[in-house]
Amino acid sequence: MVAAPVVTAAAAGSGAPALAWLAELAGAPLPTRRQEDWRFTDLTALAAIPVGVAAPAAGRALDPWAELNLPAGVTRLTGTAAEAQLGTALAASGCDQHWPVLLNGGARPALLVLKVEGDAGSLELPLPVSAGEGVAAWRLLLVLEPGARLELLQVPAPAPGQRQLLSLVSEVVLGEGARLQLGCLAQGHNHAALLHHLAVRQASASELQATLVSSGWGLARHEPRVVQEQGAARTRLLGLQRVDGRQLADTHSFVRFDGPDGELDQLHKAVADGSGRSVFNGAVQVPRLAQRTNAAQLSRTLLLSDRARIDTKPELEIVADDVKCAHGATVSQLQSEELFYLRSRGIDATTAAGLLQRAFCHEVLRELPAAAHRHDPMTALLGAA
Amino acid sequence: MSSTATVGDLVSQNYKYGFVTDIATDKIAKGLSEEVVRLISSMKQEPAFLLDFRLRAYRQWLQMEEPDWATLGYPPIDYQEIIYYAAPKQQQKKSSLDEVDPKLLETFEKLGIPLSEQKRLSNVAVDAVFDSVSIATTFREQLAEHGVIFCSISEAVKDHPELVERYLGTVVPTNDNYFAALNSAVFSDGSFVFIPKGVECPMELSTYFRINSGDTGQFERTLIIAEEASTVSYLEGCTAPMFDTNQLHAAVVELVALDDASIKYSTVQNWYAGDENGVGGIYNFVTKRGQCRGDRSRISWTQVETGSAITWKYPSCVLQGADSVGEFYSVALTNNRQQADTGTKMVHVGPRTRSTIVSKGISAGHSANSYRGLVQIGPKAVGARNYSQCDSMLIGDQAAANTYPYIRCQQPQSSIEHEASTCRISEDQLFYLQSRGIGFEEAVSMMVSGFCRDVFNQLPMEFAAEADKLLALKLEGSVG
Amino acid sequence: MSAVIRPDAPVLLEIRDLHASVENQPILKGVNLTIRAGEIHAVMGRNGSGKSTLSKVLAGHPAYTVTAGSVFYRGENLLDLDPEQRSRIGLFLGFQYPVEIPGVSNLEFLRVATNARRKERGDEELDTFAFEDVVRERLSVVQMDPAFLDRSVNEGFSGGEKKRNEILQMALLEPVVAILDETDSGLDIDALRIVAGGVNQLSSPDNATLLITHYQRLLDLITPDAVHVMAAGRILRSGGKELALELERSGYDWVDAELARLDGEAERQPLEVA
Ligand SMILES: Nc1ncnc2c1ncn2[C@@H]1O[C@H](COP(=O)(O)OP(=O)(O)OP(=O)(O)O)[C@@H](O)[C@H]1O
Ligand SMILES: [Mg+2]
Repeated sequence: MVAAPVVTAAAAGSGAPALAWLAELAGAPLPTRRQEDWRFTDLTALAAIPVGVAAPAAGRALDPWAELNLPAGVTRLTGTAAEAQLGTALAASGCDQHWPVLLNGGARPALLVLKVEGDAGSLELPLPVSAGEGVAAWRLLLVLEPGARLELLQVPAPAPGQRQLLSLVSEVVLGEGARLQLGCLAQGHNHAALLHHLAVRQASASELQATLVSSGWGLARHEPRVVQEQGAARTRLLGLQRVDGRQLADTHSFVRFDGPDGELDQLHKAVADGSGRSVFNGAVQVPRLAQRTNAAQLSRTLLLSDRARIDTKPELEIVADDVKCAHGATVSQLQSEELFYLRSRGIDATTAAGLLQRAFCHEVLRELPAAAHRHDPMTALLGAA
Repeated sequence: MSSTATVGDLVSQNYKYGFVTDIATDKIAKGLSEEVVRLISSMKQEPAFLLDFRLRAYRQWLQMEEPDWATLGYPPIDYQEIIYYAAPKQQQKKSSLDEVDPKLLETFEKLGIPLSEQKRLSNVAVDAVFDSVSIATTFREQLAEHGVIFCSISEAVKDHPELVERYLGTVVPTNDNYFAALNSAVFSDGSFVFIPKGVECPMELSTYFRINSGDTGQFERTLIIAEEASTVSYLEGCTAPMFDTNQLHAAVVELVALDDASIKYSTVQNWYAGDENGVGGIYNFVTKRGQCRGDRSRISWTQVETGSAITWKYPSCVLQGADSVGEFYSVALTNNRQQADTGTKMVHVGPRTRSTIVSKGISAGHSANSYRGLVQIGPKAVGARNYSQCDSMLIGDQAAANTYPYIRCQQPQSSIEHEASTCRISEDQLFYLQSRGIGFEEAVSMMVSGFCRDVFNQLPMEFAAEADKLLALKLEGSVG
Repeated sequence: MSAVIRPDAPVLLEIRDLHASVENQPILKGVNLTIRAGEIHAVMGRNGSGKSTLSKVLAGHPAYTVTAGSVFYRGENLLDLDPEQRSRIGLFLGFQYPVEIPGVSNLEFLRVATNARRKERGDEELDTFAFEDVVRERLSVVQMDPAFLDRSVNEGFSGGEKKRNEILQMALLEPVVAILDETDSGLDIDALRIVAGGVNQLSSPDNATLLITHYQRLLDLITPDAVHVMAAGRILRSGGKELALELERSGYDWVDAELARLDGEAERQPLEVA
């Protein structure tokens, strides 16, 4: 299925010997901070992950989803039917050779290909892991037929206390007029890392809403990559990442409009506390044929500690004159006036700060599919109020 | 032009500064080597510290790689094909303008910069740089009465070596980047400004750069020092003849502002941009940096970039002193095949430092205009604030506008706000103005200058109108 | 159309069998209208009947294509002229939706426009100072705060403020033929009086006004010499000021019957110009 390119051993000189096995698994050397896309994200942190494959939980059966109950309208494809579409969204969005994707391919991922027709309602896709240490990989392909609708929730979580690297690659093909509301609620811990690629091909009149939330990971990187193949589609990207301690969270998004009249509405939020690092890189490409594109990107960061650090870099590339592209970024602490207002109503400073943080996060969390409620995302993110 | 024409045809304006002055020059042979560096230094009879500075830079340069990260496309530059020193043949800098070759005076007059006593601008002191050498500086005596030093950097090396040695290379180290290293090794001339403590410079200072020789690189070096509580406003203008080969211009500008000092540096850059097919034009690779060393100091960059085939330029401020202020106001207009990669870096080091960035990019024709910015707030910059606004205007569907505003923040008690937008001149806006009797081209230029107003407001009065005209000129024929 | 109102006055605007389309969609389907000096005409009609289209075609908006017919302005072929030239020779359109132009100062805009018109008339152009005096005097006609001069053209103006700014431009440009497209909509009662007062004050035996409006209340203040009803891209009926009152009473229901009757006619005759 996923053909990893052969990389010569010489090219695979990826520094720390503890990482060599990962380079070998991926068939390619680890990216270094000399590469623009990895300038702020140091993968040497992965050296802490012990060699091994922490197979998805049903590992013995090889198929963790054998028992999965699918809603009406969703069918599981296997064999050649599945392989035909596999990799197309990765290629279309230019990330099939990205290292995390190569690693995913090399780590023998559990594979699930779903075809969706009609209004399929909602599905929560479990991503169970075994208790072992090492890499656990999933590969998901969703094909939404024209007009199909689905709400999908993924909740990747490492086994408690285990040093695991979770590798998740999701591909989505949205047919004409199809609608997908996707949520990824990723709650990790300090010893775990998450590498998540989401590659989407959108046909015209389709709608994608992807809400990616993560907190608590030693290292987490989300790469949502969307291509509107004929334009005239709607894309909403929402992100919320929280770091504390020595954690690093990174979102690298990419959206390209290959036709006119496309729409993008992107909001990325980050909360950085402790000695945490938060990175956001948002690329938007509007080539000549994408006239009348309307794209808005906003990045907002709350910096809560003087040891935390944030790096934010929107990248807008526009070659069409009749477009509306706006982007904005703010970095701030909690607004002192707001804090003061709450305190003047008798709320103590800590509670007030908590309230304001919750309000900050709520704007993204409320966009998760309804199925996320039972995971109580606010508490997962910020702890009990 | 009829209203049915599109906004794309207005840009093919002839470059009116494209003439060549026929004057004998002393050039050294093409190519770069340690000997060439030594030769430049000895021709200029420089003190040892400067030769050492140049040699150190040259050796660093040899170790460096030409940057390729800017979204610029140009054929590789052969550094051995460039002449590193060209000077109009005249023995020594003349003590009086009457002795300067009249051809040179004529050249500058044609450029709108009369130098002679009778004609010169009344409130602007001008240093005129022709190829590698400063040929005249006006109003020197009047400035000297206030203790202001305004002369070419070569003269400063001779007359005030201690100042040059103390400050040269302290803002832009020799190994800062590839082009800065090259400049440090071979710089020929440039301007030097020193404003002593407490002095408000009584007039605008201005340097006018002219590249004349076809195969000459221009590597000028500007150093401006504003001592405690002094202020100065400085303006730089540039043109070059039209050649169908590319010329390299790799300047370094260093500004130092001590406590309560204020430096305002304005540029109207109109180097030859090449023709509509992208043949010829200046490669403008410039390192400009100001250091707000003192508390409450202020450095403000204003630039109007309309020329050059390729511009690579990020005038920056290092805000070290507490409560210091950095500003960057920029209009960059690209047309035809021009490429501009420009922006600024605001590095907040000290507490309560503030910066403002206003960038307006206009791309027409097949040009590419990129804003690249960095706002960095360090851990000690408690209470720092930045506000940035980057707007792009696209004219025609072949032009590209890229925006890369990078933010790095390590201080929670700080605030950064960045806004960016893209727009074009809408048909309805044009029609509205036209339906009030305003001609098509005038309507376009009104809207373009409206778009740039926040930046033009920052220019010294005499130059704001100039900049407006220049823009209108550059856009002529591109809109329709 | 009904009888000529001022048969001896010179014809200022003559529209004959005007057809126009936008984005290949025909909107105007044979408009005929003659306007003479000293006349005030009102054009009414349902939403979407083509009133604004007519006004923009007359002003030369590039999005509209004239597919047939002619328009003569004081004997000159109007359709040959650029929009700016039309303005300079005295045709004025007060827009239904005046556009905002950020960054362009209102004062500067008004001055350049006024000077373009003055130049055409052979008058001396006004410098900034002289113009300030003129504009301040005209501001009083529309009772507008001078603060609006320092803002960008229409940017952030309220609906009514935009309309006053249109009348201010009219006062400055002193047009020969002024077309006011729903200049009364969005105005409060005082503003309506001010605008109507302005129009009355500016009209003279030598110029003419074409008012596009939905409401009798404007016509109570500016008495029209003729009222025309547009429907489906042409003028369906014309009459005196009493036609407007009749419409106010009974609405446009008769229009459908009339249109159906017209469509039924095998060979539709173009409505004759009186
Ligand atoms: N650009 C366009 N593309 C398609 N249709 C258009 C366009 N502009 C106008 N039309 C159509 O032309 C018709 C006439 O529009 P117009 O604006 O002239 O109406 P109006 O009589 O002024 O209406 P109102 O009373 O609402 O102002 C409408 O059906 C409108 O939708
Ligand atoms: Mg209308």
